Amino acid sequence: MAEPILDIENLGISFFTRAGEIPAVMDFSLKVMPGEAMGLVGESGCGKSTVALAVMRDLPGVGKITGGSIRFEGRDMAALSGPELRAIRGSKIAMVYQEPMASLNPTMLVGRQLMEVPLIHDKVSKEEARSRTLEMVKAVRLPDPERVMRAYPHQLSGGQQQRVVIAMALLSKPRLLILDEPTTALDVTVEAGVVALVKDLTARTGASSLFISHNLGLILETCDSVTVMYSGEAVETGGVRDVFGAVRHPYTQGLFRSMAMPGTNKNDNPLIPIPGQLPLPHERPNGCNFGPRCSHFVAGLCDRADVPMSGVEGHSGHRSRCLRIDAIDWAASARKGERLAPVGIGPRVLEVDRLKKHYRVAASAIFGGGGARTVKAVEDVSFAAREAEVLAIVGESGCGKSTLAKVLLGLELASEGLVVLGDEAIQNRPVEHRPVKTISSIQMIFQNPFDTLNPSYSVGSQIQRTLERFRIGKSAAERREIMLGLLDLVKLPRAFSWRRPRQLSGGQKQRIGVARAFAGRPRVIIADEPMSALDVSVQAAIGELLMNIQRESKTTMVFISHDLSVVRYLADRVVVMYLGHIVEMGSTEQIFSPPFHPYTEALLSAIPIADPSVRKRRVVLEGEIPSALTPPKGCPFQTRCGHKAEVAGNLCERELPPRRTVAEGHTILCHLPVEALQRMEPVFS
Amino acid sequence: MQFLSPGQIVVRSFVQLWPVWASLAVVFGLSVVYRRKLGLFGQVVESATGFAGLLLVLFWLFAAVFGRRIELFDPLSQIARMQNTAPGAIDPHSGLPYLFGGDKLARDVFGRVIAGARIVLIIAPLATMLALSVGISLGLPAGYFGRRVDAVLSFLANLVLAFPIILLFYLLVSPGILETPIPYTLAGVFFAVPIVLFGVLFVSGYRTQPTQLALRLALTLLVGAWLFATFVFNADPFGILKVSPSTLNIFIAVALASGPGIFRIVRSLTLDIKTREYVLAAQTRGESAWYIMLWEILPNARGPLIVDACLRIGYTTILLGALGYFGLGMPPESPDWGTMIKESSPFMRIFWHPALAPALAMMSFVLGLNLLADAIREQSLRD
Repeated sequence: MAEPILDIENLGISFFTRAGEIPAVMDFSLKVMPGEAMGLVGESGCGKSTVALAVMRDLPGVGKITGGSIRFEGRDMAALSGPELRAIRGSKIAMVYQEPMASLNPTMLVGRQLMEVPLIHDKVSKEEARSRTLEMVKAVRLPDPERVMRAYPHQLSGGQQQRVVIAMALLSKPRLLILDEPTTALDVTVEAGVVALVKDLTARTGASSLFISHNLGLILETCDSVTVMYSGEAVETGGVRDVFGAVRHPYTQGLFRSMAMPGTNKNDNPLIPIPGQLPLPHERPNGCNFGPRCSHFVAGLCDRADVPMSGVEGHSGHRSRCLRIDAIDWAASARKGERLAPVGIGPRVLEVDRLKKHYRVAASAIFGGGGARTVKAVEDVSFAAREAEVLAIVGESGCGKSTLAKVLLGLELASEGLVVLGDEAIQNRPVEHRPVKTISSIQMIFQNPFDTLNPSYSVGSQIQRTLERFRIGKSAAERREIMLGLLDLVKLPRAFSWRRPRQLSGGQKQRIGVARAFAGRPRVIIADEPMSALDVSVQAAIGELLMNIQRESKTTMVFISHDLSVVRYLADRVVVMYLGHIVEMGSTEQIFSPPFHPYTEALLSAIPIADPSVRKRRVVLEGEIPSALTPPKGCPFQTRCGHKAEVAGNLCERELPPRRTVAEGHTILCHLPVEALQRMEPVFS
Repeated sequence: MQFLSPGQIVVRSFVQLWPVWASLAVVFGLSVVYRRKLGLFGQVVESATGFAGLLLVLFWLFAAVFGRRIELFDPLSQIARMQNTAPGAIDPHSGLPYLFGGDKLARDVFGRVIAGARIVLIIAPLATMLALSVGISLGLPAGYFGRRVDAVLSFLANLVLAFPIILLFYLLVSPGILETPIPYTLAGVFFAVPIVLFGVLFVSGYRTQPTQLALRLALTLLVGAWLFATFVFNADPFGILKVSPSTLNIFIAVALASGPGIFRIVRSLTLDIKTREYVLAAQTRGESAWYIMLWEILPNARGPLIVDACLRIGYTTILLGALGYFGLGMPPESPDWGTMIKESSPFMRIFWHPALAPALAMMSFVLGLNLLADAIREQSLRD
């Protein structure tokens, strides 16, 4: 058997802070074989990035390795001197981080930054470095490599930047590539392209990789083996198909159950969040760290002593940190079996008709006129939402979904068209001129829980301010009662009303955001990716909460998202947007099965799915989303569409396609004839 | 004439300052005991820089507070035979020493330095607060509304910044200008700013609670009217403070010198904070623009503003000294540190001591403020 490239044994890492020693990683072992892609999964705060930094010997000042060893190609990393380390970093081990813009030097041309790698590590001539760099830029499939070499990082899009970072990492032909959430900052279709690229290039160069992610689906698609981390420990490890096919640790099982998979939906089988939350590093329980949140917990067994890793029968290399592997019935379904009756959809509440929102961007502030350009953020959007309905708006960045939300809320005025709330036209009424009743009946839940609450006030007072603003409750005491009731509604203890936002976890903050949005008993709630910044297990809990409140209050929800698996789980109807246009609209069933708009087809194929039994048809889009400043002529999607050749006479490049009705309530904006659309194969099987 | 030995001078000064040491002991004792509960202040006390900075600043604060108790002689009274005496000279009449010697007009330097602290510690923070309220009231709308408002206000700020401040001050005190209503008009405008700022703050925040609003507005108007009468018209109805026209000029100069700098800081902080989602949330529930600026944005800009205010009080102290040195600030007999240095500078080669004490005082106070600002910045960035 070959020697492992990276061999971590019983690694322990602690941070030494004012509060004393905080163990971040304990008893962590991992082996990466030559050519193997190892995935490292876990939620935020579990220590996965700390492991990556320790491998590079790049821990922050207060972080110290307290035990165990890290061996790279048989050499102990801890024993290496400064110069030896520098020779390895960036050369034999390369790293790709989450934020591409932060990894590139904004003052240097892309070409020069890339050329530094061979110049420094291989000591080659400038010409040689240039030719190698150019070849690598071509290999990462960047369009027009010569131009990219002469560009500054900010002149490239996020996806292109990340390709440059990957090119830089691979230029030195590393033995090990560490990828720390490399696609989290990218759009789904761009992510799919980058992931395919990494897979292809590592296979070609024979490099091993350590792929750190919170996304189980992505790990299944890219890795050979996987290690799941929880609270500083590896809890389960093994071949990807072994682990995903036969989970043997309650935490991993909990993660899978809290994810929206194809086939789940809010009525038939609701998600099951993991109860409780990640223990703080200095408050870890005795025995099994997952014990307090585990439904299979047995007092006296699980809380006695530290739990060792033990092998799983029938799988080589599959190990789990659970004492009750053999006692738990892993096949048992956790679904309670209760089916929720679908909510009756009521009358129309919100109607948007032929809405347009154009921004004028002046070319120059002083010498105005002449060069003023128009950004068409929203182009001709029409849809309606009914009472108690969840309408999802799906699209990637720049598709106009956030502008649409702003127009609905009155933060921007429509350029053309109608927005009708109830029987009131509100498209030209900015929020400061709307009556309180209108304001309170359309409210919003925001994306980033860390930003949605003002850090200077207690959470209770922030909800109370909203009540005060909406003239709910006669006195401060009455409003306080209502506020406490809202905390009950979002299942937070009443004592939390005194807390500052920084004393709450991300999920708890988002619950406060939900309470605030529902404070004025709104008729319409706009939820802008309310779960995308949260960990998987917390996402499920917030999703469930939202659905329960929405179901009971019969609120209309406009759910903005790019995550189609979540949308499939909770939406009744879906609107797919691309560059300001609605390209497809229909019920959730209709959207997720053929006929598709070509863009929907690609979006569906781009969702990483953490279920080895689902087979997916690959549709990888080339190129990037065009800028809304210079939208393509004709069909907005024609620059990336794979079906363009099927339409005769270059029609796609000349004319905006017609809106074809393929079924009752299901429309597609495409030049392809209905028959061709009908012939499309399903993406999942 | 008898003299104290250097050792005796040190011991006597130390003893004379006992109220200061006692207060410092109480403050630091309490803050060390309760440091865990004091949040940022506790952390600042715990850090070496913060401790040193706070020690220096509080030393001068308590020296100013207990001034009358500490000084041995009235800072303005002259004892003819003590003219230019070296440190430690004992006045045979009263038997008390001139600890830091006598100046050219035979006044006690020790007492004058302590009395100077009183002047500096009232004027520097107050003038800084005035500049702060001007900077905040203009910086918030410039950052929040942007576009034209920003263009106009930023242009004005740049205009003021481009004008040499010493020259401006010479102009302010020149007789030709003093006779015009310009200084009083400027002072009137500047002192109206904090009143308006607090008024808007309470009106926007308590619109739904009329009794609370009335209470706060009344208080604002009362305090505002008192300050306005005292400073602009030098007609303190309670007779506590006397503000000469030259002191008023210092306030105008500081507001003009520091205002634009604070304006820029507030503006850039606002530009950053207004992109946060809690500001968007406030907009979606229909809050007024001033509510968002003063209640949602300003509280979250306080960290950098406190640090900046610390540095600026030090800067104002130095400006005060510089103005005093040019003979532009306080009246010539005033014991403020800048004027003292200036008064003794012509004889520096013969009698060095009258300038030494005020110079050290100014240095230590400004150093303390800078250390404190450093510590606050560092501690607020940690964890």
